[in-house]
Amino acid sequence: MPSGPTHPPGESVQDHVAPGSSPTARRPGLPPAVLEKVRERDPAALAAFFDRYFDQVYATAHRLLGERAAAEDVTQEVFYKVHRAAHQLDPARDPAPWLAAITYNACRDLWRTAEHRLAKKSGSIEDDPALAGRLTSGVNDPERDLLADERRRLVQDAVNRLPEPLRTSVVLFEYGGMNHQEIAELIGVNHAAARKRYSRALALLATMLKETLG
Amino acid sequence: MIDDDFQPLPEEEERRIGALVRDLPPPAADPAFRAHARQRFLSGRSRAEPAKVLALPMPPRHRVQAFAWAAAAAVLVVTSVAVLNRGPAWQVTSVQGDGIAVVNQVPIPLGHTADLAAALRPGARLRVPEGTMVEISAPGALIIQLMNGADMILPATPARWFGRHVTAELARGELRIHTGEPFVGANLMVRTPEADVRVTGTTLAVICEPHGTCVCVFEGAVRVDDRHAEPADVPEGRRRFVFNDGRIPETDEIRPVEREMLRDLIEREPGR
Repeated sequence: MPSGPTHPPGESVQDHVAPGSSPTARRPGLPPAVLEKVRERDPAALAAFFDRYFDQVYATAHRLLGERAAAEDVTQEVFYKVHRAAHQLDPARDPAPWLAAITYNACRDLWRTAEHRLAKKSGSIEDDPALAGRLTSGVNDPERDLLADERRRLVQDAVNRLPEPLRTSVVLFEYGGMNHQEIAELIGVNHAAARKRYSRALALLATMLKETLG
Repeated sequence: MIDDDFQPLPEEEERRIGALVRDLPPPAADPAFRAHARQRFLSGRSRAEPAKVLALPMPPRHRVQAFAWAAAAAVLVVTSVAVLNRGPAWQVTSVQGDGIAVVNQVPIPLGHTADLAAALRPGARLRVPEGTMVEISAPGALIIQLMNGADMILPATPARWFGRHVTAELARGELRIHTGEPFVGANLMVRTPEADVRVTGTTLAVICEPHGTCVCVFEGAVRVDDRHAEPADVPEGRRRFVFNDGRIPETDEIRPVEREMLRDLIEREPGR
């Protein structure tokens, strides 16, 4: 397994342990024996590995990229790399953070492409006046706010419109099973900066959701 | 991203916003994509493979040129043969009476024989007025007289070497037909509402009457098919009447008046 993020000594558990309340994060990992078989590319073990982690990889990619087609491309890329690097897998550790890191790196490669930057220019909140109005204007519809589905949709839209670095912090922390230190090592910043990105992301979300959700 | 002026949310508010985010359901993948990705992962082919372009070997340039020349020569030969094989155009060799013929719904005075001849294409519908006669011919091969309000779809003139089986349709009126020496080997089918008349070299009349079709043979032999029984050969000097009400066809001597009219026709040289 590639050198994965680790918990540095002397830091609080609160900072390092992701909330882990998302369904993906709470799901138990595969037994070490199965992971050992994955290292050997045993077909049954590979199938179990795919079934266990596909949703996590796809969801992380989708949340980072905000679109289905790109998420599918990244998901295939991630599992291709996993297959190639299966012999490096550490059966003693949960592969979830490792997969999240691979997924993030694949997304980052995509973000760096000219095509993605060009497409992203049309994805600003400024280009969606209706959404911007719903999220930031003074219009408040209590009846609509009571509908959970509508609330989730608004929250999802707000997350999708976070700047990429902030969205990365939220997605990897809330859904990727990574703590701030692991995220810091992955994205190449120090722990305090990673933690602050997460806080800034939540503050921006709160601003966007304030008028809508109260 | 470090902002010294940034004021984080209160801890409780941060937890509330975090909970809202965590409450989002995970995006669901398309089952078809999932199955596809799973299959590729298990086979070790997770990355989309670039499409393989099969390059066909290009033939040598001189072979391409030779093929092009051969194709062009073949087209030239086929075109030349088709042109040379084509039968002569219909000519209007005689007109009796005054009136207006109609060719493909275009009225043409009978006196304008050049205009009339120019309009006589294979497949054209020609209608002549009552009490008039229009004689058309394929020079040397075939004379057809249209009389008594004949309404006919013209056949092609028999070609030189192949394509010598031609078909005409007579809806009403009378035709008198005489074939010449060049017609030998050709075949003219005249279809009326009641019968198919096969002409292979003869002089005859095909007359559409109110109760059926009468085929009068002055010379040679004609096969008449009434489409309900076995075709019958009508010998020289006989006529066969095919009824349009299902009665059995009748065969008899041709009438004297018809004999005289056909005698007049046979004395004409085809194409004159």
